[in-house]
Amino acid sequence: MSDKQKEATSLIVEQLVQSGIKLVASLPDDWVADLIHTIHKDDRFKYVPVNREESAVGLCCGAYFGGIPSMALMGASGLMTIVYAITKINYTYHIPLFIFTTLRGVIGDPRAHHISNGLYLTKLMDSISLPYLLVEEQKTIQRIPDAFKHSQVMNRPVVVAFTEAVLRGEA
Amino acid sequence: MDLRDCFKYFASRQEDGVVITSAGVTSGTWWRTTHDLDRAFYLGASMSMISMFGAGIAMGAPKLPVWVFMGDGAFVMNPGMLMVERDLNLPNLKHFLVSNRVYNATGAVPLTNAKRNDYAAIARAVGIERVFEIDSLEGLHSQFDKIVLEPGHTFTVLEVEPLLEKPGGVPLDDVESKIRFGRYIEKKAGIKIFRHPAPEPITNR
Repeated sequence: MSDKQKEATSLIVEQLVQSGIKLVASLPDDWVADLIHTIHKDDRFKYVPVNREESAVGLCCGAYFGGIPSMALMGASGLMTIVYAITKINYTYHIPLFIFTTLRGVIGDPRAHHISNGLYLTKLMDSISLPYLLVEEQKTIQRIPDAFKHSQVMNRPVVVAFTEAVLRGEA
Repeated sequence: MDLRDCFKYFASRQEDGVVITSAGVTSGTWWRTTHDLDRAFYLGASMSMISMFGAGIAMGAPKLPVWVFMGDGAFVMNPGMLMVERDLNLPNLKHFLVSNRVYNATGAVPLTNAKRNDYAAIARAVGIERVFEIDSLEGLHSQFDKIVLEPGHTFTVLEVEPLLEKPGGVPLDDVESKIRFGRYIEKKAGIKIFRHPAPEPITNR
């Protein structure tokens, strides 16, 4: 991890602490792998690797009833798979859920298999009225606690989506 | 084993702990058996996620017994959940798999590979140590204390016959369900769940 990336990761982690997050359930995307390693090593969080993204949704929803502020961390492809879970659980029962994801498939992402994420991820979130914060510049990281609070106030899922450049500390 | 008799026994032994049920006859039958609005959360809107849901509660309220009743239709959608359960190994989480080998609520259509699925073997294969298989009320009576009262995560297969008459749904508003269930946990576990932040007071300048 470069010094710039370490700094960006540290900024994100501190905003999670500021938000009060205690539990992080995740599946990796290589853009967030270093963030996951950092969270895993940080004893301010309970880190739970899950078998699929829907399990992270289930765990975080239960953690809400256990009084544990939590976050589901996943790649864009993972977010595309949890539409059923969040619309059935979170929308039906008005359960807040805080999600971190990646803005894969946008201009600059060299991996062709992420094209569908680039084409549809934000449109998908719009289509199900899923609020999201796009983090395209480092200064936006400081708004993470606001996004978490919005989820709690509205009793709905809220997504924070990062570009690769921000995660690498290059934006 | 008849699910209704099975649930009557569980209900007779339930104390302060909470119950999570999955979609279909599992939710409907628990509701018909108990009419419980406070200690039960009928997660009818989602399949395969209730044991993770239960795990989240069990983590935050470690002294509160958490019973999860999951239909096998839900289980086959996400058996990998057992790996997470094993990793967490929460002593107050008791996972009961209601195995009737069909999608009972949606026409009793058979599950894939229905007759060969060995759910207990799957659980053992991921390292869960306390796995039980119950196919009679007598077996349930004799094993109950070991499964439920002894501390430690358990996975128990309850082999039941499909219900010929569907129990129907749970006549409860979903948000009311959330509030009543959450308030019960707050009271019993002494934790804070609902944190609606009040707006800042307006001060005169």
